[in-house]
Amino acid sequence: MKQGAIWVRPFYYLVVFTVATISLYPVLLMILSSFKKSVDIYKNPLGLPTSFSLDTYRTLLSKIPFTTYFLNSLFVSIVSVVLIVVVCSLASFYIARFKFSWNHALFFIFLLGMMIPIKLGIVPLFILMRDLGLINSLWSLILMNTATGIPLSMLILTGFFKTMPYELEEAARIDGAGNLRVLWHVMLPLMRPALGTVVIINFIAAWNDFFFPLIFITEKMKRTIPVGMMSLFGEHSADWGSLFAGLTLASLPMILLFLIASKQFMEGLTAGAIK
Amino acid sequence: MKGGSAGMKQKSKWLLLLLLLLVVGLVGCNTNEKITTSATPDNEEKPKTEEVSLTIGSWRTEDVAKYEKVIALFNEQHPDIHVSFNPTKNTEYNTVLNTALQAGEGPDIFHLRPYAAGLKLAEAGYVEKINGLNGLNVFPEEALKASRDDQGNQYGVPINLSSTQFFYNKKIFKDNNLEIPTTWDEFMALNDQLLEKGITPIAMGTKEGWLLSLLHGIVGPAVYGGNDFYQAVLGGEKDFTDAKFIESIQVMNDLKKYFPANSEGLGMDDIRTLFALEDAAMFPLGSWEIPVVLEMNPDLDLGYFPIPSKEGNKTVTTWVDGSFAINANSKNKEAAKVFLEFLTTKEFGELFVKEFSMISAIPGITSDDVLLNDISHSTANEATPYMWVTNFTGGDPTTKSLLESELQGMYLGQVTPEEVATKIQENAKTWFTPFQK
Amino acid sequence: MREYTASSVKKRKSRAGWTIHLFPIPALIVYGLFVLYPIIAALSYSFFEWKGMARGDFIGFQNFVTLFTTEPYGSMFWNAFKHNVLYFVVQMIVMNGLAFFLAFIIYQKVKGAEFFKAAFFLPRLLSVIVVGFLWKLILNPNFGTLNVILEKLGLETLQKAWLGDPKTALIAIILVNCWFGLGFGVLIFLAGFQGIPSELVEAAKLDGAKGFTLLRTIYLPLMVPSIMIMGILTFIQSFEAFELVYAMQGSMGEPYYSTDTLAVFFYRLAFGSSTASGTTAIGLGSALATVLFLFILVCTTLFLRFANKKNVQM
Repeated sequence: MKQGAIWVRPFYYLVVFTVATISLYPVLLMILSSFKKSVDIYKNPLGLPTSFSLDTYRTLLSKIPFTTYFLNSLFVSIVSVVLIVVVCSLASFYIARFKFSWNHALFFIFLLGMMIPIKLGIVPLFILMRDLGLINSLWSLILMNTATGIPLSMLILTGFFKTMPYELEEAARIDGAGNLRVLWHVMLPLMRPALGTVVIINFIAAWNDFFFPLIFITEKMKRTIPVGMMSLFGEHSADWGSLFAGLTLASLPMILLFLIASKQFMEGLTAGAIK
Repeated sequence: MKGGSAGMKQKSKWLLLLLLLLVVGLVGCNTNEKITTSATPDNEEKPKTEEVSLTIGSWRTEDVAKYEKVIALFNEQHPDIHVSFNPTKNTEYNTVLNTALQAGEGPDIFHLRPYAAGLKLAEAGYVEKINGLNGLNVFPEEALKASRDDQGNQYGVPINLSSTQFFYNKKIFKDNNLEIPTTWDEFMALNDQLLEKGITPIAMGTKEGWLLSLLHGIVGPAVYGGNDFYQAVLGGEKDFTDAKFIESIQVMNDLKKYFPANSEGLGMDDIRTLFALEDAAMFPLGSWEIPVVLEMNPDLDLGYFPIPSKEGNKTVTTWVDGSFAINANSKNKEAAKVFLEFLTTKEFGELFVKEFSMISAIPGITSDDVLLNDISHSTANEATPYMWVTNFTGGDPTTKSLLESELQGMYLGQVTPEEVATKIQENAKTWFTPFQK
Repeated sequence: MREYTASSVKKRKSRAGWTIHLFPIPALIVYGLFVLYPIIAALSYSFFEWKGMARGDFIGFQNFVTLFTTEPYGSMFWNAFKHNVLYFVVQMIVMNGLAFFLAFIIYQKVKGAEFFKAAFFLPRLLSVIVVGFLWKLILNPNFGTLNVILEKLGLETLQKAWLGDPKTALIAIILVNCWFGLGFGVLIFLAGFQGIPSELVEAAKLDGAKGFTLLRTIYLPLMVPSIMIMGILTFIQSFEAFELVYAMQGSMGEPYYSTDTLAVFFYRLAFGSSTASGTTAIGLGSALATVLFLFILVCTTLFLRFANKKNVQM
C-alpha cells in the first residue's frame, strides 16, 4: 500500500489514535476518580483531582487482606491457565491432526459449553463441589475456570493446529518421535501466537471471575480480588472515591501483568507468520 | 520457521517464571489454610469442649465492623459461642443463599428477606421454626408478621424497621420562607413554589424501578386513603381498579414535572447526590439513607415530614426490612437459638440503634439522634404499611416488580395510569386470594 | 489446510499408536464433570413443575408451552430475542468491522503498533463489573463525561439520559460491549493477516492490484477463516449477552425491558430479580435456557456446514 494516496497514512494514524484514546480514557477516568472526593466526581467530572493523596488506598488496604487476595487470585489464575493449556493442547492436537471418525462430534461436544449459560447448573455444581470436599477450596475455582475455558481454547487451538504444515510432523515421526514429542517439540513452539491468545484470554477470565468465588467461597481468607473488593461496597453507600480506588486495585494487577507480559505475547502474535 | 534456539530459551524462561509464581501461589494458599483452621476450631474433632462456631449470612456487606461489635457484646455473655458474620454482595445474596440451601448447606443463621420472599424459603423447608423462642413476645404483631407464615409459624427475629418519608433541606425551606405541608394541597403548592423559584422540588429518578414502587409507597397512601384502603384490599372489598387507586398512579405521573432534569436516566446514586449537594429540596426515601446522605454532606440541615393525605391525616410508610432466621440444616441449632434470643434483648436493641443508625424493631428503644428518634416516633403513630413489600411480593413476576416496570413504562409515556392499574390488578388476581373471591 | 495423501494419513495413524487416544481424556474429564454434567442435570429441570425452590412432578413440555403462550413470558421472550439480534448485528458491523480495519492498519506497519495493540486490548482486561461502573458514570445524564463534552462543544441538544431513554439505552450498552471486545477482534484479525503468505500479496501487487482491489481479491478471501471465527464467537456471545446488561441496567433490563436480553430474562426467571422481592421460576428458566441453547446450536451447526461447503477451514 506504500504507493497509496498521500492522505492514507495520516488517516490511518488519525483512526488508531482516536480509537486508542477512546479505549484508554475510561481506564484513566477510573484511576483519576480514585483520587477524588465523591462530591468532585459529580461536580467536576472532567477535572483533575486536586491532590494525589494515597489515603483512600491506605484505608481500603487496611480493611482487607489484599496480599492474601492477590496471591489467591494469582494462584487460581496461573494454575487454571496451565491446566487449560495442557489439556487443550493435548485434546486439540488429537482433534486437529488426526482423522478419526468421531473427531467432528468430539469437537462439537467441546463447543457446546459455549452455547449455554453455565450459571444454569449452579445447584448441581454446588452439590458436586461439596461431595468432592472443594467448597471453600481454591481448587473449586481452578476446576471451574479450566472447564469453562475449554470450549473457546479448543476452538482457537484446533483452528491453529490445522494450519500447521504436515511435513514437519512427518519428519519428526520418521526420526522416531512419539506423540508427546511431536506435540511438545515440533508443534507447540510453532503455536506460540495461538497459545498466547489462549493464555491471555483465560488468565483474564479466571482473574475477573466473580460468580463462582461468590458461590463456592465463604471463608474470608480464601476470597479472590474481585469478590474481596466488591465486598467492601454495600447496598447503600456513596463513597465514590473509594469505590474507584477499589476498582483500580482490583484491575491494576491485571493491567500491570499484561503490560509486562504483553510484549511477549504480542510479539508472539506479530512474529506468528506461519508459512 | 524461525523459532530456533533463541525462541526456546525465551520459552523456558517463561516456564520458569510460571513455575516460580506457582510456588509462590501455593505457599500463599497453604499458609491461609493453616490460619483458618487454627482460627476456627472444628467442634467435631473436640467434642469435649463446649465451644461452638456459628456463621451468619447477610446482604449487609457494609455492616461487618458493626456486627463485630454486636458479636463482642454477645460474647460477653456467651464466650463459648464463636460467631462470624459473613455477608455477600446484596445483589447476589439471594442466588448465593438459595444455591447453598438447595444443596443442604449454608450459614447457620441467615438474614431473611422480609415477607413473601423470605417465607418462600420457609415453605421449601430450609428455615427452622422458632415458635416460642424466648424474647419473641417483646415484638409487636406487625413486626413478627414479616417472618410468619399463614399457619402462624414464626421463622425469624425481626431486626429493624424501615420507614420511607419525605426528607427535606431545612435551609432551602427557610431561605424561601417555605413551611412543611400540612395538607395535600399545600404539598402540591409547595412543589409549584419551589419550581417557580428555580429549585428542583423532588430528587427522584425513574431509571431504577425499585425507587418507583418506593415513591408510590410514600405518596400512594395519601391519595388512595391509607390504612382504610389497605384493609379493604386485604378483605377483598376493594381492588386496584378502584378510582382512588388509579388516581394514586395518576398522581405519580403528575409529580414527574417536579423531578430533576433527565429524571429518566437518574438512579439512586444520582438523586442522593443531588439532594446531598443541596441541588434539590426534597428527597422521598428511606430512613437508612440518613447516615449516607450526611456522610456525603455533613453540613446538610436535614429534616423530614410525614406526607399529608387528601383525607387530612399524615403517614409515614413502614415495614420490617430484615429478620434473622436459623438454617433448618444447621448442626448448631441450639447455639443459633441462643444468638437469636440475644437479638431480642434491650442491650442488643440499644447497641443496634447506636451503631447502625436504624430503627430497632424492638419497641421503646430510643436513640441519641433526634431525627431518627422522631421518625421512630412517627413509625409508632402515623404508620401505614408499605403494601407492595408487605403483601404483594407474590406472583410471577411479583406484583411489586410488575408495578415497578409498568410505572417506568408510564414515565416513558408508553403506558397510561389506567393501564398500569389494570395490569397490576390482573397480576394480583392470579395469586392474591382476597381478589379471587 | 494442506492436502495430504491417504497413504500419509495411514502412516501417521499407525505411527501414532493407541496412546494417542489418551490425549483428549483429561480435557473430557474436566469438561464432562464441571460443564456437561451440571448443564444436563439443570436442563432436565425444564420438564418438572417447580413450586418456588421445591421440585414437583414431571410435566413434560408444559414449561415450554407456558413460556411461549402465557403472558408476560411470550412477549418478554420475543422482546429480548429482538434485542439479541440487534446485539449481534451491531457487534458484527461496528466491533468486527472496526477491528478488521484496525488490524489492517497495524498490518500496514504503522509506528507504535505495539502501543496501539496494547491500548485496544486494555479494556478487555477489566472485569465487566468495573466496565459497568465506569460507563454508567461516563453516560450519566447530569454528571457524565459524554454530556459534559457535548455541552462544551455547544451540542447541548444532543445531550441525553443515555441509559434511561429506551431509544438509546440498548444501543449504548451494545457499543460499550464493542469497546470492551474490540481488542480481541484486532488480535484475531491481525493473526489472520499475518498468516497470509507474503508471496501472494507481492504477486498481486506486481499485477498492479492496489487499495481496495487488493483488499477484495487477496486479503478478504484469505481472511475468511478469521472472519468466521469472529463471526461464530460474536454470534454466541451476542445471544448469551448478560453481564454488561446486568451490571448496568439490572436484572429487569431497565428501562421498561428496553435492554432485556434472553440471558438476562433467563437469570430473572432462574434466580429471581436481584432485589429483595425476587421469586424464582426454575422450570421456566431451564426451559428458556434449553430453547436458547438449541437455537445457538442449530445456527452454529448451519454456519459450520455452510463454511465447510464453501471449503473454509475451521
